[in-house]
Amino acid sequence: MEPAHKKAGDKPGFAEYDYSNFYYGAGDDPLNLLTPFARWYREAVPNGYYLYQEALESAPTTHVRVRNGKTKESQDLLNLASYNYLGISYRPEVKRAAAEAIEKYGLGASGSPILSGTFEIHQKFADELAQFKGKEACIIFPTGYSANVGFISALMRSGDTIFLDQYSHASIVDGAILAKSKTVFFRHNNPMDLERKMSRVRGKKLVVVEGVYSMDGDICALPEVLEVTKRHGARMLIDEAHSTFLFGPNGRGVAEHFGLDKDVDFHLGTFSKSLGGQGGFVCGTRELIDYVVAFSRSRFFSCNLSPVVTAGLRAALQIAREEPELRAKLWSNVAFLRRRFEEEGVDIGKSNSQVMPVMVNNDAKVFAVAEKIQDRGLFLNPVTYPAVPKHRSRLRISVSAAHTEEDLETAVGIIADVLREEGICR
Amino acid sequence: MSLTRYGYHNAINGFFEFPTENARRILPRGMEPVEVHHGSSVLAVTVFFFHESEVGEYGEVVYAVLVPPFVEDERLPKGAFFPWQVATTTRAAREHAIERWHLPHWMDDVEVDFEPGDGGRALTARVKAEGSPALEMTITDHSWQEVSHLYQSFQQDDDGKYMCNILFEGEKSEHEEETGRIQLYDHPFNKDIEISEVFEQPFREMWMREGHQLFDPLRQL
Ligand SMILES: Cc1ncc(COP(=O)(O)O)c(C=O)c1O
Repeated sequence: MEPAHKKAGDKPGFAEYDYSNFYYGAGDDPLNLLTPFARWYREAVPNGYYLYQEALESAPTTHVRVRNGKTKESQDLLNLASYNYLGISYRPEVKRAAAEAIEKYGLGASGSPILSGTFEIHQKFADELAQFKGKEACIIFPTGYSANVGFISALMRSGDTIFLDQYSHASIVDGAILAKSKTVFFRHNNPMDLERKMSRVRGKKLVVVEGVYSMDGDICALPEVLEVTKRHGARMLIDEAHSTFLFGPNGRGVAEHFGLDKDVDFHLGTFSKSLGGQGGFVCGTRELIDYVVAFSRSRFFSCNLSPVVTAGLRAALQIAREEPELRAKLWSNVAFLRRRFEEEGVDIGKSNSQVMPVMVNNDAKVFAVAEKIQDRGLFLNPVTYPAVPKHRSRLRISVSAAHTEEDLETAVGIIADVLREEGICR
Repeated sequence: MSLTRYGYHNAINGFFEFPTENARRILPRGMEPVEVHHGSSVLAVTVFFFHESEVGEYGEVVYAVLVPPFVEDERLPKGAFFPWQVATTTRAAREHAIERWHLPHWMDDVEVDFEPGDGGRALTARVKAEGSPALEMTITDHSWQEVSHLYQSFQQDDDGKYMCNILFEGEKSEHEEETGRIQLYDHPFNKDIEISEVFEQPFREMWMREGHQLFDPLRQL
């Protein structure tokens, strides 16, 4: 008789598996998951995974030319997938600044920031950013990812405890791993659960939150979480990757939005979202920044941010600062889109920001939905388990100030039609 | 080669995050837990009611830690478990499982009751050991699908290390809506678990009904 696991006939299809099934595998060969993964992936790609890593053939403006991962043909699509929240990355001033910098400096920094890779342009930009954030000093990292990894591991050690929201970005989790601290996850945006967990822990403690959570687009319950943090004598880091340059009277972020800018200890952000560039930063006191410069491995064992990007970022920061109307336009676009989705019965979960998940809530259908949406002219990425919980699959929208109401109306029409056809909304 | 078959009307399972240090205390040396998050492993609690088996009808509760599956041939397992405490409602079921599967057992009969709730959309299992409540777990449903899923079980006792392929077939509902609940009582039955560290809502809930498990013969490792 055949062993149970070789029973003929009912071998599961690719949809029975996802990336999480190929992460762990016992056995002696580090390569033992490659063949099962390759076998699964070959089937997964034509069934929807081709929608990941599709190549753009134009700038990430509101309309993009994309090489379709399945047909390999170029498609012109309305773009609601890029992080370019203020539409700055392709502004002429930004391109000009980068072009001038490449003439002056060439392509890269050619050195670690603590050795030969710091240029006067990096220092100027760090000072301008500190001033914008209303802080004494600022440290720049080559990416937002390395800012979290470098900052958290610079400050925290084995024996310390780091409290993370369960929906924390991977770079925050990886920072905690590199710090070798004990990591305690609390329920998403739930100060009561944080309270319960903090009350059992002594010693050095750090709480990390995000201004806007990147998969759900909901804002941090900062006043409540900060109150618990302070009461337990802990420090707080806020990652404002998706909120700096957007929230608050001066665009400093969600901490400023709540009037808690001075109460949060450490402010982190990225240049890859609203500024449309690349890199990350932390702002704080001069003492803090001097210490982090000395102890953040992800920064000093890595080449500095390219001076070309840095020059572009300086111009981008100037735009973000001098054109508050961009933020106003973004928020009016967000309000418009929210209202239209509500009218059409499209579920956008708990979003209260420019990041909007269009909830499909059906892991078996999310790729079919995404495929139809792209075929009708809209560029949007599906997000499914394990990036989000099972059956909370979604399409993730990034609204930009550059979108017109017509763009957004077109997007709503396509999305609502497809969701209705698939029986996902009324 | 003969397969062992166990038929059930209902089996409910909850995955709970618990500290990796706790998981490591349970696992034998050399075996690693699967982590959901850095520092958090998975406590899997399953309660069955078998109506068809070589040893008649019985209820069973299994505490297990999720571990990496053994990848060896075409069919990739969906997951793997290290069950460290199994308890049954009958002595015959217990003796059978110890002998055939080398599964570590709670050595007294336990009481297992199931109670449907929410118009059939929830099922609560209550387990009593030594006459007092040890565990209460409620699992809710989502969407039902006919499945055939391969899992693996790893065991270890004084005689050696073992593994077994187990095919679960039948109707299954699985979700991560956090609508279920567990209560682990302060009871010797739960002595290996730091109860205060287990969140009372499962991050994943599975419910299998009108199905069976097919066990391959045990393999010594
Ligand atoms: C919350 C959060 N932090 C950090 C990062 C990493 O930023 P970057 O892409 O600039 O490396 C991201 C990016 O997706 C993010 O969403």
